[in-house]
Amino acid sequence: MRRPELQPRIAAVGARVAALLVVATLLAGGIVGGLLRAAVALPLPAASTWPGHAVLAHAFVMICGFLGTVIGIERAVAAKARLAFAAPVASAAAGMAALNGAPALAAWLAVLAALAFVITHVSMLQRQPEPHIGVLLAGAAAWLVGALLFALGGAARGATAVPFWFAFLILTIAGERLEMTRLMRRRAGATGALYAVLGTLLLGAVLFALMPSLGAAVFGAALLALAAWLMRHDIARRTLAAQGLSRYMAVCLLTGYAWLGIAGAAWIATALGHPLRDMALHALGIGFVFSMMLAHAPVILPALTRVKVQFGAWFYLPLALLHASLAVRTMGAVNADLLRAGALANAVAITTFLLTLLAAALAWRLKHPAEPDAVAAHH
Amino acid sequence: MTMAPPYPYSGPEALQVPIERALRAVVDPELALSIVDVGLVYGVTLRDGKVHVSLTMTSVACPVADMILDDVEAALDGAVPADMAIEVKLVWQPPWSAERMSAEGKAFMGW
Repeated sequence: MRRPELQPRIAAVGARVAALLVVATLLAGGIVGGLLRAAVALPLPAASTWPGHAVLAHAFVMICGFLGTVIGIERAVAAKARLAFAAPVASAAAGMAALNGAPALAAWLAVLAALAFVITHVSMLQRQPEPHIGVLLAGAAAWLVGALLFALGGAARGATAVPFWFAFLILTIAGERLEMTRLMRRRAGATGALYAVLGTLLLGAVLFALMPSLGAAVFGAALLALAAWLMRHDIARRTLAAQGLSRYMAVCLLTGYAWLGIAGAAWIATALGHPLRDMALHALGIGFVFSMMLAHAPVILPALTRVKVQFGAWFYLPLALLHASLAVRTMGAVNADLLRAGALANAVAITTFLLTLLAAALAWRLKHPAEPDAVAAHH
Repeated sequence: MTMAPPYPYSGPEALQVPIERALRAVVDPELALSIVDVGLVYGVTLRDGKVHVSLTMTSVACPVADMILDDVEAALDGAVPADMAIEVKLVWQPPWSAERMSAEGKAFMGW
């Protein structure tokens, strides 16, 4: 096997450890901000100012910081281009700046990150001019629009930017799912229908900045339609019949699509004046997006960190916790205690998932004592 | 006489089956299919004490490519003579399409 020199190997491991620490900090900061927003009492040091910043910048830290960095690293690893890492480096810096109370710097770093992310996808589209890369590029562009609105906007800048930030995540996921559907028989009009749905989603994001109610309704309708499209066309319906990790991923995906549909209904309900904003945001951000993360982490984490994980049925525990905690949270609209309990349980579910990954990495090591250093064995 | 593998193979007949078996052991968990059934293996050539494998991916945006390449290398490690070098190359031409899937792969995906 190829065994590169020791020094670059140490440097590569060091870079991975540093990236892991920053990503973990962003996730922790995002979660603390979210818990405080949901009025969960946390034992935080009284003198520190970052929890206050985390509250103000919760969506920014979660989407532009944490998720933007994770997705950016994924894409940079795939692109095998040093320049592609500019996007996750800038988004990580943006998230850290936001947590440290430098909102203007954070906002412009996010613009830089999104711009680098767009450029990465333009070069990918040149290498592989396929529809799914086009959808990924549209997602990157949505992030750039959202980041610019946030950097240039006034007092209500967060509200106008958030639908575009979500559009970034949704189009990224939709592009990746579209790629997988290439393994299934093409159904006439399926790709066109997806374009129409995603176009409607972007229209909803634009309208939201001008006429919030109409925008929310259009955005919600697009989410509902996307949930139906994914349920209908995704390979998860097929891989559900498989075993082990493949089936677990399918369960994550399909339950995530259910939350996407619920999120769509909640967005429409907010447009009609119902106080379901928390559900609209978190059925989408936690129910849909985190279900996708739970699905792919056992595969993506080893690809990014070179640490292998042992899959086991215990992976279903954090998934069940995630869905149960979110179900409790959706009842927060009628009872503030349930909102608090649900939000806290969301954090417990995510923490449980991280512990599950850690345990799975240790389990893999124990099962493969002949390869004590997965990093060395695989490069 | 062994059945021809579903990719161009050039090398000693004795290694054809072990190599195919090794490649079939590399599974894409998202798809629940082996790289052979997805049609990602473009060719295997044994020459000058070296086994060359050309492999494609379904997307340039997929970060798992390097790991699959490593998995192929590790699988072949156990299938070919110890003194044989292994070279796994990622290629993008010709682009992958669903026609490359095996009959089993297509059946699983409901074709």
